[in-house]
Amino acid sequence: MMFKLILCSLAVFLGRLAALLCRLAGREATSLPGYIALKVYPGLLGQLARGLSPVIIVTGTNGKTTTSNLLARLLAAQGRQVVSNGEGANMPAGVATALLKGARGKGHGPAAVLEVDEGSLGIVLRQVSAHLVVVTNLLRDQLDRYHELDQLASSIKGALAQVPEARLLLNADDPLVASLGGDGREVIYYSLERTPLSRTRPADVLEGHLCPSCRVPLAYTYYHYGHLGSYRCPHCGWARPEGAFRGEDFHREEDGFSLDFVFNDGRIRLTSPLPGVYNAYNVLAAGSAGMLLGVEPSVIREVVKDFRPGRGRVEGFRLAGKEGVLVLVKNPVGMAEALRTVAGNRPAAYVVAINDLAADGRDVSWLWDVDLEPLLKSPYARIICSGLRAWDMAVCLKYSGVSLEALRVIPDLEAALREAVEEPVDYLIILSTYTNLALCRRLLKGMGAQSEAAYMPPVSRPA
Amino acid sequence: MKLHICHLYPDLLNLYGDRGNLLVLYRRARWRGIAVEITGVSLGDPLDPKLYDLFFLGGGPDQEQGVAAGDLLTKGPWLREAVEEGAAVLAICGGYQLVGRYYRTAGGDILPGLGLLPVYTEAGNSRLKGNIAVRSPCLDDPRPVVGFENHGGRTFIEAEGSGEPLGYVVFGFGNNGSDGTEGCICGKVIGTYLHGPLLAKNPHLADYVLSLALKRRYRGVVLPPLEDELEWKANEAFLRRFGRGVGERENKKGVTLARSAAG
Ligand SMILES: [Zn+2]
Repeated sequence: MMFKLILCSLAVFLGRLAALLCRLAGREATSLPGYIALKVYPGLLGQLARGLSPVIIVTGTNGKTTTSNLLARLLAAQGRQVVSNGEGANMPAGVATALLKGARGKGHGPAAVLEVDEGSLGIVLRQVSAHLVVVTNLLRDQLDRYHELDQLASSIKGALAQVPEARLLLNADDPLVASLGGDGREVIYYSLERTPLSRTRPADVLEGHLCPSCRVPLAYTYYHYGHLGSYRCPHCGWARPEGAFRGEDFHREEDGFSLDFVFNDGRIRLTSPLPGVYNAYNVLAAGSAGMLLGVEPSVIREVVKDFRPGRGRVEGFRLAGKEGVLVLVKNPVGMAEALRTVAGNRPAAYVVAINDLAADGRDVSWLWDVDLEPLLKSPYARIICSGLRAWDMAVCLKYSGVSLEALRVIPDLEAALREAVEEPVDYLIILSTYTNLALCRRLLKGMGAQSEAAYMPPVSRPA
Repeated sequence: MKLHICHLYPDLLNLYGDRGNLLVLYRRARWRGIAVEITGVSLGDPLDPKLYDLFFLGGGPDQEQGVAAGDLLTKGPWLREAVEEGAAVLAICGGYQLVGRYYRTAGGDILPGLGLLPVYTEAGNSRLKGNIAVRSPCLDDPRPVVGFENHGGRTFIEAEGSGEPLGYVVFGFGNNGSDGTEGCICGKVIGTYLHGPLLAKNPHLADYVLSLALKRRYRGVVLPPLEDELEWKANEAFLRRFGRGVGERENKKGVTLARSAAG
């Protein structure tokens, strides 16, 4: 016992020391301190989380970072102290780093909003007794890491069984996520009703669209994207659960979107500057969790109105008099949504930087599952493929119908970015997989890019 | 000229960029002035064995693959008839297992397959996954066939059967990680574990599949060469990165060949 206590204190001390050293060295420490501390004392997560209440875990393949950042902002706006790993460092080391920063030992501590990687959920929940677990969606992502979605769903189920007291907040529109409910505990669902962008046929590659009990394909009345939508099993009748929180009357606005956020005894109109239907889900997930934790609807409306995630996802910048966006892409659904968001009707120069390191996914075959239509329809002036898998991307674009005159392959990222800036267009679109993202930011900064806080999606401007 | 392709279970077996293979076949045929019709055939749909020149079967998640497997057996007689009459088959990953004789699960259950290829598959306890390159004696062009594999099953070619390996592993695992073979070809039926998708970075194999399929209706078709510089550059870059020099020599020669053919 004594020994454990000493180890634990030592781990906290070393972790905080590492964080301090990183700061002194001018580096951001999102994982290293936690990594060191967990090496010293693997049971540290449980210790650190003890003083936090409530603990909210956000998991799922897409939307974790935006959802957890927004939820943390909502709780803070309601006057709560919040600890969160808002930088997207969502493996155990990142979670530990966040807790090291925030946890202050005994007493009624702050709330914790923790984004946790789907694959790490089991490890984290073994130690941390969560009060609320939010599951955003289970879309195809890095399959060489997690193999298959069914397997992932059952591993999440197993992880959740470790916290039988935790409430679940689930995305009703994702049949795989919805099927996580039904083990007797309190489950709350949120859903998005039909939008002007809904389709009656799937546009993206499907997966996870079988009835979890009968294994027959589900029948959809509409799809939002991926396998998210309104579904019913033609065999047993299992259908999308009724959402306690619903997004209705979604409208795409010039800058972002608006929707009615509907809950049991009311509805409010939310407007958000974030682009795309996938951000409507992030707002719904965070808003629903906020309501469950006592955040006032008026606070939700005010925070959502101005909420823009800091880094990651879509980052705007200005460079050499041009407007630019940098977007993280990591799977077919995410990349298709990103293209729908940023590919406008202005001539643009693209850099598509694809790597295949562990954090990107070693298998790049997912590139062929991306719905490239928004790109193909947009007036692209130049598409430069870059990164370790530049040639793979170029071949994929060639067969998708991109004109060869517009296509260039420049594996070196710096050379690719410099070439793109030279193009006689005033809009730059940079799509990057995870391990190229930091390098992209650094290179752009080195070239003189100014980050643009107010990013305006260029979709609705006339040609 | 018109090529009829049947895409089996496009809604279930669509993991790992499989639809890319159809896109590659489609474009390479169209660039040569050959019309292409691709028809999706799924659960419960009838299948006209006379209509198609090529059947394509991809891989899917375990559950989807199980659903497809059950339905595929009911389509077995039609498919066998089509193959006997000269149709080609390209089956990848899970599809490859389904066109073999059987799959033996970890629990020892035998799940029958179509038997279009003289191979059988046994469940393994780890996944064989990673980048892979093979040399295929079927192809006139000596450059390696490259791709990605990710499979739990170990597939073996029956010793007394008439199947040949599609290729021999240069690096990677192949059929089972032990005998150095990859895939199987028997007549005009091809099975392989390579996805990525398979045909994109391997134009020699793409054209081989295309010519097998065209042979059903059009004898003596010669496919004129295409400008394949990007494709070969991708193949080359792959070998440079993962093969530590393997195939570099052939590839240099290959690129020159491709250039002179195109020019
Ligand atoms: Zn059912």
